[in-house]
This record gives sequence, structure tokens and C-alpha cells, in this order.
Amino acid sequence: MEEQLAELMAQVTALKESSGVTNTMFAETFYYLTIPLMIIIHAGFLAYEMGSSRLKNVLSSGVKNILAFAFMIPTFYFFGWWVYWGFPTGLPGAPGPAGISGVEYANSIAWGWGESAQYMGPNIADQASGVFFGAFALFAATTASIMSGAVIERIQTVGFVILAIVLGSFAWVVAAAWGWHADGWLVTQWGVHDFGAAGLVHAVAGFFALGVLINLGPRIGKFNLDGTANHIAGHNMPLTVTGLMLIIVGFWGFLMACVIIPGEAWSWFADKPSTIYGTPITLSALSFNILMAVAGGIIGAWVLTRDPFWMMSGALAGIISTASGLDIYFPALAFMIAFSAGIILKPCADWLEKRGIDDAVGAVTVHGTIGLYGVIMLGVFASGYPALQGAAGEVATISLIGQIVGAVVFFLCGFVPGYGVSWILKKVGMLRVPHGAEIAGMDLVKVPGHGYPEGIPAPAVNLAPGE
Amino acid sequence: MGFPYDEASWSVVDGAMFMGWGSAVPGLYTFIACMICVAVLVYGQRSEAKKTKAFTK
Repeated sequence: MEEQLAELMAQVTALKESSGVTNTMFAETFYYLTIPLMIIIHAGFLAYEMGSSRLKNVLSSGVKNILAFAFMIPTFYFFGWWVYWGFPTGLPGAPGPAGISGVEYANSIAWGWGESAQYMGPNIADQASGVFFGAFALFAATTASIMSGAVIERIQTVGFVILAIVLGSFAWVVAAAWGWHADGWLVTQWGVHDFGAAGLVHAVAGFFALGVLINLGPRIGKFNLDGTANHIAGHNMPLTVTGLMLIIVGFWGFLMACVIIPGEAWSWFADKPSTIYGTPITLSALSFNILMAVAGGIIGAWVLTRDPFWMMSGALAGIISTASGLDIYFPALAFMIAFSAGIILKPCADWLEKRGIDDAVGAVTVHGTIGLYGVIMLGVFASGYPALQGAAGEVATISLIGQIVGAVVFFLCGFVPGYGVSWILKKVGMLRVPHGAEIAGMDLVKVPGHGYPEGIPAPAVNLAPGE
Repeated sequence: MGFPYDEASWSVVDGAMFMGWGSAVPGLYTFIACMICVAVLVYGQRSEAKKTKAFTK
């Protein structure tokens, strides 16, 4: 009898260990797979931007986009990851209530040297740090890609890469530390809730781009002397629209990576997934709401524009306008919010254009304006939801005021560094290519190749009106 | 609207957790979403037909 009991205990112990290994492998694989899905976002942005460029600029737009991605990864490794863990409570980087933040904590896990380096490289006892880093690094690369489209056809390569590094490895990371971390002061003090990063990724990137665009100036030929705008058509709309659809595919990986898997030492729950804030969520909720949001955005944009570019931008706007609350929206409400975002998209983009801003792909509107719209919409519909785990009355709750405060902070986290750094680059002559180079075409100037060496039926030099 | 449980704590959540659960609001949202789809199709059909008429003369 005793022997049988001992044998049973040994079997139970072995089963527990084996199920632990299975959970760990599942968790690691889950985040690993979000990375290639998010790289599809970059395939999408690549197609989108190259299609939106005129023939003479097509490859240089691609080079810019690819190089931004390439510089995001090492710079996020060098210091971006440290910023996220170091500053949720703000300066000077004190530890937060959940015990997973502060400069001291960040120093112990996020530097590529010393003791910290064990969590920044291959480690048989650590099956989480690398895949988390990877997911966040792809978020960083996404912010750079958002900015990338707005500034095509006239920005200098190295100046652009510097801006991308500031945005992707610093600006959005500060916003994320403050508003996308259980210790973040926006969360603990104001109840800010932004599950899918509408504010801290999309709005930050969109308004960073606005800051840059103000200093960069419009493309030659975009505006007439009387201030009216000319449409500068990209050379390949089908490529652009297909790229936008690829971004939608990649978005599923992005939103998947916003979920914290259960059952690990670092998990919030043993038995259910959670948001980054430790509040419960299910992939089922995401499935319902993302699909309804994509649909609502497309339908809203079709009603007003009938244009496939704006319809697919509407799909993006649909997701971004509901991203903050994809964990808690009722699907039909997500559809309605997304539909409204699709409706307001083109008027918002036109409003910006009337003010002399040449945003080549509508990035400021789709990501910036709609991102803030989404953050605030959640305050309208989800007031009273607890922002963190804890007893009633002891944790902050979501509120309209809190979401507005979050929106203002996200706007500033994007606009201020975008405007400031691009102003400095302009002063040192590193922002915009010279007039003659812009007329000749960036491919001739920057790229040792031709986009279409056998030619496609098009004028040899593709001039916009007024060039 | 708002948190669908009496106590503002996630520890009491044991089922549906979207805003409006337990009231008529989700049904209203579903109805409005349906009506939006119908209205878009009706409006879309009328405007497309108008445009195509210009090419059939």
C-alpha cells in the first residue's frame, strides 16, 4: 500500500512537472509567433509606402522603411527595453507598487552587460525575456513604420533613421511605461486603460509624425500658391491597398502580443489570460471585437469615399479606434465605434491638409487622431471599470477624465520629441533633401538600382502639378 | 453602461464582462449595428445606380 502510494505520488509529481513544461513551451511559442505576424505589418507598410510613392522614389521609400526596422531592433536592445522597465512611475524611476519597475529593477534585467546580460541573451532558465523583448521590439518598429509613410519622397535617410530611433526606442516607450504597465502612473493614478495601445503606439507615432511634418514641409508641387492642395498619386494603388490588408493581418499578431498568458511565474493569473494591466481578457473577446472593428471601419469609409485606399485605411482606423477597449467592448458597440471612425477619417485628413500639412499616406489622421479618438471613446463607454486588480475602492477605475488625461499625455509624448528633434535636424541640414534631388527623384540620388528596369508605361519624369 | 457588476473589482467577475451586460443595451447595440449595415447597403445601391445611369444613356 505504501509502495503504491509512493509510486502514485511520483507519477503525480512527474505529471505536474510535465504540464509545467508544456505551459512554459506554450507561453514561449505564443509570443514567438507574434513576432513573424508583426513582421507582416512591415511587409504591409513596405508595400503601402512603395505603392504610394511616385515611380522616381519607389525604392528609396522601401530603403527608408527597411532601414528603420533594422535600426529599431538594436537600439531597442541597447536602451529602449531599459526605459520601459525603468520609468513607469515617472522620474526619477522609483519602483512601483507591483514591484516590476524602477531604475534598479530595469538595471537588473535590461542591460546587455554585467549580471543583467543573463536576461538579454540565450539562457536555459529563461524562456520569457527574449520573446517579450521581441514582441516589444516589433511594437517599436511599428511606430517607426507609422511615421515612415507620412514623410516619404523628401526626407533624408539618416535624419529619418535618427527620428525613427527617437520615436521607436524612446518616445513611445516612455508613453508605454506610463500608460501600459501595471505600475504606470497614468494607470495607478488616473485609471488609464489602453489595452491595444491605440494611444501609446498609434497616437504617439501619429503625432510624432505631425511634429516632423511641420518642420519637414510639403512635397514640391503639393500646394499651390493659393493654398489649395494637389493630389500626388502614388504609382501603384493596388500595391498600396494590398499592403494595408497585410497590415490588418499583422495586427492580429500585435494584439495577440498584448495578452499575458496564464500559468507562468510572471503571469497575473494561473488560469486565465490577462491584459498588461493584470485585468482578465480572452482571445475570444479579441476575435469578436477585432473582426467587428475591421468591418465597421471599412463600411464607414466606403460610405463616404468609395475609395479602396480609404476603405483599407478605414479598416485600420476601425481597429485603432477600438483598440483601447478590445478586451471589454461589446462587439456590436465595437462595430459602431469603428464605423464612426471610418466616417470621420477622410474629413479629418482633409482638415489637416487644408492647414498645409502634407501627410503622404494619412498617417497622422489614421494613427494620431483616431488613436486619441479611441482612447477617449473608452472613457465614454467604460467608466467605472477597475483599471487594475484589487478590491473595490482600492484601485483606480477607468473614467472619461482619466482617458482624456492619457490622451493629452500621449499626444505630448509624440508631438514634442517629433517637433523638437526634427527642428534640430533641420537646423543642421539633415532633415530634407535639396530641391534638385527631390525633383530628380530619390532613387536616382540614393539607390543603386531601378524599381522597374524594363519600364512601365509612364512619363520618364513624373512631375506633380506645379513642379 | 459601465462596469456590469455591483462591486468595482475584477475578483467578482465570473462571466460576461462587456459594458452593458445584464441590461437591454447590448441588444440595442446589436440592432443599431444591423441597421447601419442595412442603411449603408440601401444608400450604396441608390448612389451606385445613379452613377451607372450616367453611362447607360
